[in-house]
Amino acid sequence: MSTAAIEVKNLWKKFRIYYDRALTLKERLLFWGRQRYEDFWALKNINLTVPHGVTVGLVGRNGSGKSTLLKIISRILYPTKGEVRVNGRMSTLLELGAGFHPDFTGRENIFLNASILGLTRREIKERLDEIIAFAELGDFIDNPVRNYSSGMYMRLGFAVAVHVDPDILLIDEVLAVGDLAFQEKCLRRIRELQQRGKTIVLVTHAPKQVEDLCDMAVWLDKGEIRMQGEAREVARAYADWLAAQPS
Amino acid sequence: MKELYLYREMLRNLVAKELRARYKGSVLGFFWTFLNPLLMLVVYSLVFSFVMRAQMQNYAMFLFVGLLPWNYLANSLIQGTASLVHNASLVKKIYFPREVLPLSVVLANLVNYLLSLLILIPALLIFKVHLTAALAAFPLVLLVQTLLVIPLTLLVSVATVYFRDLEHIMGILTMAWFFLTPVIYPSEIIPPELKPLFNLNPAAPIIEAYQAVFFYGRWPDWASLGWLALGGSFFLVLGFRLFDRFQRRVAEEI
Repeated sequence: MSTAAIEVKNLWKKFRIYYDRALTLKERLLFWGRQRYEDFWALKNINLTVPHGVTVGLVGRNGSGKSTLLKIISRILYPTKGEVRVNGRMSTLLELGAGFHPDFTGRENIFLNASILGLTRREIKERLDEIIAFAELGDFIDNPVRNYSSGMYMRLGFAVAVHVDPDILLIDEVLAVGDLAFQEKCLRRIRELQQRGKTIVLVTHAPKQVEDLCDMAVWLDKGEIRMQGEAREVARAYADWLAAQPS
Repeated sequence: MKELYLYREMLRNLVAKELRARYKGSVLGFFWTFLNPLLMLVVYSLVFSFVMRAQMQNYAMFLFVGLLPWNYLANSLIQGTASLVHNASLVKKIYFPREVLPLSVVLANLVNYLLSLLILIPALLIFKVHLTAALAAFPLVLLVQTLLVIPLTLLVSVATVYFRDLEHIMGILTMAWFFLTPVIYPSEIIPPELKPLFNLNPAAPIIEAYQAVFFYGRWPDWASLGWLALGGSFFLVLGFRLFDRFQRRVAEEI
């Protein structure tokens, strides 16, 4: 395919920081026209092209705008200025098990959660066995998820999300959950997706993960791209910069 | 709209969740869907035949016929105001067409209304209300009502994100609307000088159409129903447009 999987052009994102979040009608009427918020530019003029089949790491400190960028690409947030174009089916892993209903069983939640991620009934049925096997829940699959341990909850959430089988997968620091064995399994699954030619965007704090998993990397600082290029180069530069920061 | 079709499974699941989760954990479970209107019917017929004796013949049935579709409207609006705000965790974490949330509320209430007909029809027969061929107009009346309920629910759901108070005002507003609509009284008792004012209420001709079809065994007033269908179609398009415009900042405002 000639077109890129993700194209971000001159993207700006402004947030309103409210002094006080109470948005009541009374206050709206009383303080009509008075500014009760400050503008904050979370992303400034971002340009980024991700070709098909490439894994990109987004690194940066807290508040650098990497999660915001991920949310705009995934269409959860709407850009203030600029344009984002995505070619292919996309799935976002921001929080595992978002949308689970505590009273429903694991199996029922697979249907619910997978449909929220945009699968049709037939697609879910085709993948059901695979998802259940991946989550390693055993007989618990037919228990309500409110009885699950947090680890089981995460496993089920991850299992559903990676079986959506998207062309483009966006991941936000969810790989840090679960025990070591499960983390290994998640990483294996990501490598498998890479081999099958999927495009992956990964948000992380850890330069090491970028070196291990990514082809390309983008380093964001205060809403601007500080560096982008080959994964190892960017990861090393970022690691050096981190080490030089007064903590 | 095309995207909404892709997410039809989510819509279906949310409606099922709404219908099942409501009574989950209760002993009678889904049976409550039928028991609720049945008990309502028992209470109303006791009150209006023994306590406050209504002049009108078969008043309890008259009331029941109008109250069920009213509940479809009112519950859609009231639950609709909360539909985006209460699902903040979902809206902030996953992309999906946001319309799915308010639409699932409308559909769940629509299904609930249809199920309550299984109580209404036998009740009408037991109380010897004469059912006629006019019943054939029922699907049309329901369609016209739904044309209004969908955009209204879409708009209140997205407006609540920016004006949280709406969630609390909505109960009172729908109650006021309820008394302005001929549900508990027949439209004939409205004083003629107030009639033009009452005619501005789009819910009135709808409820009257239900009463015509189920209670009086007459065909509904086609002219007003036709105008409502036309206006409702425009309102539907407008509702989706406005919703789309205002949902853009929902994830950050919620």
